[in-house]
Amino acid sequence: MSIPGLGQAAPTAAFLAPIPVAPTVVHDLQANSEWRFEVDIGEKIDVKILSGTAEIFGTELAVNHLYTFRGAKSSIYTWHGCRIEVTGVCEEYTAEETPMTQYVNTHFALEKLRDEAERDRREGPRVLVVGPTNSGKTSLVKLLAAYALRMGQQPMVINTDSREGLLSIPGSLTATPFASIIDVEQGWGSSPTSTSTPVPVKLPLCYYYGLGNPEDNTKLYKPIITRLALAATSRLTDDPAIKSTGMIIDTPGVISQGKGGFDLISHIVSEFSVNTILVIGSERLHSEMLRRFSTYRTSTGETITLVKLDKSGGCVDRDDTFMQLTNEATVKEYFFGDTRTTLSPHTQSLGYDEVTVYKIREAHTNSFLPGGVEETDHGLYEKVEPNASMQHCILAVMYASVSDSQDTIRDASVMGFVYVAEVDETKRRLKVLAPMNTRMTDRPMIWGSWPEVAVSLMG
Amino acid sequence: MSYEIPEEQIAEDFAAALADLSMNSRYEISNLTLIARENTASALVISEALKTHIKQTSPSKKLPAFYVLDSIIKNVGTPYTLFFGRQLYSTFMESYALVDNNVRSKMVEMLKTWKEPVPGSMDTRPVFPPEVTRPIENALIKARTSFLQAHQEQTRNQQSAMGRGRAQSTPYRETPTPPSNYRPPTQSAQPAPGYTANYTPQQYPASMNVQQYSSQQAPAPQPPYTTQLPPNGQQYPSQQNGYQPHGLPPRPPNQQYPQALPNSSSWQQQRYPTPPQPSYQSQVQAVGYTAPASSLAALNSDIENLINETKAEWSRNPHEVNFQPKIKALLDLQTVLRSQTLPPDQISLIQNQVDQLKQAPQSAPIMQAAPAPLPPTPVVAPPPVQQPTLSSLLGPGALAALLARQSATPQPSSAVPATIRSPPQNNSHPFQPPSSVAPATTPVPDPASLLGRLRAAGMLPGLAASTAPTPLNSSTSVAPPPFLNTPPSAARTPLATIPNDVILKPASLKIPRPHLIASLYEQLGAPCTQCGRRFQSDQEGKKKKAAHMDWHFHVRQRMDEAESRGQHRSWYVDELDWIRSREVEGESGTTTADSSQSSNSAAAAKNPKLQFIPAPDDPALAAVPCPICQEKFEMKWLDEAQEFVWMDAKKVGDRIYHASCFAEATKDVNTKAKRGTPEPVLGKRKAEDDGFAFRAKIKSEPVA
Repeated sequence: MSIPGLGQAAPTAAFLAPIPVAPTVVHDLQANSEWRFEVDIGEKIDVKILSGTAEIFGTELAVNHLYTFRGAKSSIYTWHGCRIEVTGVCEEYTAEETPMTQYVNTHFALEKLRDEAERDRREGPRVLVVGPTNSGKTSLVKLLAAYALRMGQQPMVINTDSREGLLSIPGSLTATPFASIIDVEQGWGSSPTSTSTPVPVKLPLCYYYGLGNPEDNTKLYKPIITRLALAATSRLTDDPAIKSTGMIIDTPGVISQGKGGFDLISHIVSEFSVNTILVIGSERLHSEMLRRFSTYRTSTGETITLVKLDKSGGCVDRDDTFMQLTNEATVKEYFFGDTRTTLSPHTQSLGYDEVTVYKIREAHTNSFLPGGVEETDHGLYEKVEPNASMQHCILAVMYASVSDSQDTIRDASVMGFVYVAEVDETKRRLKVLAPMNTRMTDRPMIWGSWPEVAVSLMG
Repeated sequence: MSYEIPEEQIAEDFAAALADLSMNSRYEISNLTLIARENTASALVISEALKTHIKQTSPSKKLPAFYVLDSIIKNVGTPYTLFFGRQLYSTFMESYALVDNNVRSKMVEMLKTWKEPVPGSMDTRPVFPPEVTRPIENALIKARTSFLQAHQEQTRNQQSAMGRGRAQSTPYRETPTPPSNYRPPTQSAQPAPGYTANYTPQQYPASMNVQQYSSQQAPAPQPPYTTQLPPNGQQYPSQQNGYQPHGLPPRPPNQQYPQALPNSSSWQQQRYPTPPQPSYQSQVQAVGYTAPASSLAALNSDIENLINETKAEWSRNPHEVNFQPKIKALLDLQTVLRSQTLPPDQISLIQNQVDQLKQAPQSAPIMQAAPAPLPPTPVVAPPPVQQPTLSSLLGPGALAALLARQSATPQPSSAVPATIRSPPQNNSHPFQPPSSVAPATTPVPDPASLLGRLRAAGMLPGLAASTAPTPLNSSTSVAPPPFLNTPPSAARTPLATIPNDVILKPASLKIPRPHLIASLYEQLGAPCTQCGRRFQSDQEGKKKKAAHMDWHFHVRQRMDEAESRGQHRSWYVDELDWIRSREVEGESGTTTADSSQSSNSAAAAKNPKLQFIPAPDDPALAAVPCPICQEKFEMKWLDEAQEFVWMDAKKVGDRIYHASCFAEATKDVNTKAKRGTPEPVLGKRKAEDDGFAFRAKIKSEPVA
């Protein structure tokens, strides 16, 4: 910090925080190297590119612009070498060996397909990224989307992993066309708010699965995937810019790890007419995919190109605690905004009789039923009256009517989420936190078990 | 240090002292600065007190208050810089909107000094970081641009007629009496403040400008312009170099702020068209130059001469089409030279070409001889409506108009329409380089494409792409690899033409292909300094970049506004809406802005409810109701136009009507035959409602 009267220090974040002065380090990165860093949740670092070029998961960083990272495991890659200034505490190291050449070449190969698609007025490649948990699938998806964006394309990014949210809270499955720069500080960016954000907002279409693992309830997961694919394909066909660019589909790691999961991959492949599969890391998965899809034809008669890519050495395990905290942060961000934009959610008080809540049945609870024939009778959801166990849970408000059938509600897209802040059993009232002040009593709400929010958001 | 009680005390005392500050009193200002310096622990409250004071005090006291701010940040610095920086935009712009032109130009001068290091300080950083000053600059540029837009409309037709005659006269835009060239200070007293705004900022820049003037005007060197200060001051900028670190903005006695508010009529007069413009230009020059001044200055003057000669030539042969691209290329080259740092070899290259060019037209009669024989036509002196009032300064939908025009006009550069269309004032005016309009839309004109155009116009032979100059951006980075920020010399190379042999096979994917990496970097053009997004240097890229910078600008502004309003997340869109929605332009912000702008103009054509005009400044005019319904107009802030407007209003002749009333009334007249069709109720009530919805849509801009 500079002494008053001597020079005008640039407003560093260190000044704003009353904590001891954070150390500032300058790193010189060689060309084709990657600076990997981990910032603990609750901590932050400021990064500034002093010279050269740098990118985070494919998105180029502006020189001399201050980027702040909180609770993140990420990396900065440079093709040409750069000098970066880092303020704050983080675990970090520089890696020379990366699969970036492979990854960027993959992008250019896709780009060639897109050029051809545009010429022939066909749909661009539908790319599926599979691989075990923590193998860097989402990072690759982000990288490919960012590169496509930089070349003037509009990729549609599909998230089929309910464990993490993409522009939405966990538990949801989304389709999002990207036409503007990906927010490097906030993961993907932000869905629309009532104000402007420094990075353009993205417009996701959101469905709610409400469980962490697709295999927990494939009877629910599959139809939602079908619906998501239907909507995404409709948009793709209608929207010329997206059409030639195609889709990039992220998957849950868990479906790459077992028999039941492979079936789900097949389901996704057929629903989205996937014609390119990128397998990260796993040899076994690659051969399994080969076995399943080498003779496969998509609905339009295309063959499937299958490529195995190396896993980046930068992939780190995110343990359950980290995931839990990240998910809570995502939920918080949905209601309250991030550090740059503060949002004010509305608190509403609803009577028990005013709300229609459906609780998701988990598959294994059904499997204990004798005969198993009751499954269809019981339906996917169980209509429940609010109760104390609902406290601190997330409910998805659906674009449907309370009188709709369960299938219609399942296929409906999500309007938004509410958080149950308080359940008053005696007065039979709920206090919920909603993003905005709209009457929700005519909308059915779905109560899932994911994401679990352990702490009160209101505190 | 004691923090608790004294803090409020200090703030109170400070506020009280401020309240007494009604003029530019050096003593008082240094006193306040001293208080600020001694109480850095209470910097927050002090800065808040000052900010509040600036906001609340009467316009006549705003300037002294700003000088206090200026003095504090320059003499004390951190943490005040930080605290003031946070809301500097609103502090500055709100006051700017309220004060008169004289004060405005002072404010602009002050702003300029904020972009430079504190004089005499070892620190090379600017007083305020560029993130803070840039939005203000943008706003000022916008104001200026919109004025020019309005102004060009009326002067365009005079182009060829005026081109020659006014070549030597100073562009005395709004004043019916054109002054002679470079009038001595005594003369400048007559048109007073407005003139100064136009004149002075050009004084201080380095030798280059001076030389440029002299080479143009007469072979004999002119005395340094700083000695010719008009009596009404403006020494602040000119003393740049000699600025003492602890000094206050020095002002000559007669520069004291007028105590009484100017009355309406003098107010009008004082509003000189484009106060911020010249200073901006000079800022650019001042900041941009690092190359050897001497050769640059010579080059500049050569180009200036060439431009003038070409123009003279053109005015003699107005039908000769070749001149337009030629002049344009020259003007753009001039802009590049002024606003950017070019490598010396590049400069000498240009110099050579320019030298060759000079040979050719030399034989032609030199226009210097013609002392403005043509009197200015009435068109130059605009009707009273066109007096540059605040509204015309900020312009109705100026941005929209600008963008729309760009897309409508097949001009190679966004800068060009402005320059080409406003020659009477600009082209002929040596003081004011015509291309000074360029920064408004394309802050960094791309040299490569300019050279390309020069080449296209047959003015430069083909150059190797490797000599393409480095744009301004690179000078900000410490040591970028030289080629990285170099825009491509040609238009975008489609990927198809780049050898791309990658196939989705493991072996193929492992081969490094540096030439492909280039298509993610340098081949995409120069990056935006705010977010790193790259833009092509061709026409479309420039347009996109302009829209993009506008978007950044709007976002900052909206975020500032929104902070006080309370914000919330929106609901996700419904499936069907989502399928139908389009990310048109690549930036949802821009997209909506663009689409609403285009839909605005398109809709405005059909839909009277969406028409708006800038709210008149003249209170008498503002009080006149709609002649049809006899109701008053409602003033609204329209984000898009960046000013207060009357929605659903239309100007017909001298009178202002509700557009819907007028449409209704004229429809009755025009389409009596068709009256059988029952018109849906198009009452004013409905119009207002719809108008409101329209505004609401603009506000909720992010939903693309």
